[in-house]
Amino acid sequence: MSSDPDFTGPKTEELVIEAREAQRERKPSRMNRVGDHLKREWQLYAMLIPTILWLLIFLYKPMYGLQIAFKDYSIFRGVAGSPWIGFEHFDALFNNDQFLRALRNTIIISMYGLLFGFPMPILLALMFNEVLHKAFKNTAQTIVYLPHFISSVIIAGIVITAFSPSAGIVNTILGWFGMDSIYFLTKPEWFRPIFVGTGIWQEAGFQSIVYLAAIAGVSPTLYESAVVDGASRWQMMWKITIPSIMPTIIIMLIIRIGNMLEVSFEMIILLYQPATFETADVVNTFIYRQGIQGGQYDLAAAAGLFNAVVAFVLVMTANTISKRYSRTSLW
Amino acid sequence: MRKLSLALTILGTTSLTVPAYAESHLQVVDKPVELTIHMHWPRAQGYMVPKSGEPYPVELEARKLTGVSLIDATAGRNSTDSNEAMNLLIAQGKMPDIVGGHLIQQPVNEYGPQGAFVPLNELVEEHAPNIAKFWEDHPGLKEAISAFDGNYYYIPYLPDGKYGRAWFIRQDWLDALGLEQPQDVDELYDVMVAFRDQDPNGNGLKDEIPYFARQWEEVNRLLTLWDARSSGSDTYHDFYVNDEGKLVHPYAQVAYRDALANVAKWYAEGLIDPEIFTRGSSSRDYLLSENLGGMTHDWFASTSGYNDALGDKIDGFNFIPFLPPASAGGVRMEEHRRIPIKPDGWAISHQAKDPVTVIKYFDFWFTEEGRLLSNFGVEGKTWDMVDGEPVYKPEVLNSDSPVNSQMYLEGAQIQRGYWQDYRYEWQWTSEAARKGIELYDTHDLLIDQFLGVALNKKEQAVFDRYWPSLRTYMLERQQAWILGSGDVQADWDDYTKTLDKMGYADVIEVLNTAYERQYN
Repeated sequence: MSSDPDFTGPKTEELVIEAREAQRERKPSRMNRVGDHLKREWQLYAMLIPTILWLLIFLYKPMYGLQIAFKDYSIFRGVAGSPWIGFEHFDALFNNDQFLRALRNTIIISMYGLLFGFPMPILLALMFNEVLHKAFKNTAQTIVYLPHFISSVIIAGIVITAFSPSAGIVNTILGWFGMDSIYFLTKPEWFRPIFVGTGIWQEAGFQSIVYLAAIAGVSPTLYESAVVDGASRWQMMWKITIPSIMPTIIIMLIIRIGNMLEVSFEMIILLYQPATFETADVVNTFIYRQGIQGGQYDLAAAAGLFNAVVAFVLVMTANTISKRYSRTSLW
Repeated sequence: MRKLSLALTILGTTSLTVPAYAESHLQVVDKPVELTIHMHWPRAQGYMVPKSGEPYPVELEARKLTGVSLIDATAGRNSTDSNEAMNLLIAQGKMPDIVGGHLIQQPVNEYGPQGAFVPLNELVEEHAPNIAKFWEDHPGLKEAISAFDGNYYYIPYLPDGKYGRAWFIRQDWLDALGLEQPQDVDELYDVMVAFRDQDPNGNGLKDEIPYFARQWEEVNRLLTLWDARSSGSDTYHDFYVNDEGKLVHPYAQVAYRDALANVAKWYAEGLIDPEIFTRGSSSRDYLLSENLGGMTHDWFASTSGYNDALGDKIDGFNFIPFLPPASAGGVRMEEHRRIPIKPDGWAISHQAKDPVTVIKYFDFWFTEEGRLLSNFGVEGKTWDMVDGEPVYKPEVLNSDSPVNSQMYLEGAQIQRGYWQDYRYEWQWTSEAARKGIELYDTHDLLIDQFLGVALNKKEQAVFDRYWPSLRTYMLERQQAWILGSGDVQADWDDYTKTLDKMGYADVIEVLNTAYERQYN
């Protein structure tokens, strides 16, 4: 720009420098500025304090204990008093076929969950959005939210009964078509579909609330002008609703990817059997059996730390990809 | 430094406790003292009557007799998990004089040698004549609770009585089909086939389930019918001591291969509950009350109770214990029995101000008076002495609530270190169960149990490294074979090779080294 031959006034750089100096003179000092700002907006900062405390106490302070992943930990000696042993626990984990299998299962189950479970609440929200009958819509919504509020233990009980070979509804229906009953919960090949399906049934409704809220936030003027232009409801969904809620979808996706290794393991513990470990055993259930039941907290911490590192990498990757291609990101 | 001060306290207190004047011969101290206690167990998270928070009547009586008052200082009250409570207690660093309750053996033996608990060997020798006598009369038990350093760190809850589980069968079904109680494995097979095919419940449907169990692991008891083993202790899938006196695992023996093949065959033929793996703890309730289940292996007392509960509902209902059928090798074996020592009890923490008083107090519960108090509650209140026998008052026996629940509220039968008295349970055992116990007493059915070993640090590391995975693998294969995905005979070589690869030999080696050290 400075090379523009027609430019007659003062050079841009000079203008900028001048403006900066003027600013410096007006604003007293950085400290005072922060002070002024705090004084003016103190209500907002006060509201921030509980969250910061929560983060410090429940998330940052426990990180101190993570060091036991590298120690031969004894509760009596305490975190600080236990001797360092380096990467021994990690070495033990990665030489354990069952840990590797659990890791593989975790990833596969999460991928299933992502593939089938993630689109479901979006579909539900879009469907609810198209329902015109108010009472029907409310009833349907309440029904699909319900399973979320039932405890996992009960859900597992329902699942076990539903898939029971003698009294279960699934096998009864198979029976109508002349098929032999299947003892589903002892068949490794059936575990993942049942688990992922249960998860969708339990959570899809509740998760759709976020998308319904996003849809409610879409400006009505967009739809009005679309109607004027003669768009069908199908076109409005594709051209207006989905693009408008895309940022929400992407943020949810990134969060979901970050939690990918957090398979709801209490449900797995309730549903799995040694007979289905082959496909059902995930990192968290492995940690539970090996670490907590066996009292090997240090080994469990090592497995947990590894889990967290993988989750961190996943979130970073998802965020970067999203930032590059869709310009939506968490940070 | 701590050792020195400990020695000083012991010195100091021994000279002090020479009784100048004792009100009762059971008096532990001259002047009343208070000791703090951690007592966490499934039915109560604290040393007091749950909910009301009142001291136990038994505790008040013990105060009178000994001069020692226990003050509750239990950690982890908001959890019902005793392990968690213990970890919390140890992690917080401040410990009461007495640490007791459920499942304390493992932590006490792990942290005792590190200095968290006081070794009891010498204290008992010098100050606890009644406990010392118990050890003398019951050889091997003291060794069984010892830690790897050769010391023991807690006084256990010592159950009395021999039998736990028994084989039960629907006698009325046998009668209906004109069959006798099966005496060996072949007859058992025929009876189960008859239960399956001949409609003993008479509803016209082939819905009978010959063998069922509340815990799927009980399916493994059938292994003993072909001279294999399922466990060496009252914990499932535990190691056992073989004929050569070596510790081995039942699921790595050739006998297991052949026995499991038979169990799988029975499962495939529908003689074993097809849903045994998922039906869960209510299966006994359900299958008995629906008149579907024919046979099980379960506890004497609770299983006999169904005769009273279901007598009105199902005509002729008669579910009774029968002798374990003789195995293919001709042996009648009841693999399950009550373990003589529990991992529950109490220990003295390293912060106890006066370990000698504590051990003397522990000893009180092994005196005649203390034992009666800890078993039956306060004399005159819940029981009376009749012809030299403690007998519960009728209102205790005839109450709506079970006798054990009443005792827990009194502070009797709780998990302090005490010696249970089987007379307590016998008084409220149902007639059917008593008959069964008498029947079992006519044969020599019980086998010695493996009471556990204490591993040192190195051994523990080897065990922790290999055992959890081995166990997982064994159970996976076991269920697969029973369910018919895989054939145990065909897979056996691969299976044993995998066990070796996963460190089975190392686990067996460290266990046997520890076993030698501890018991020989």
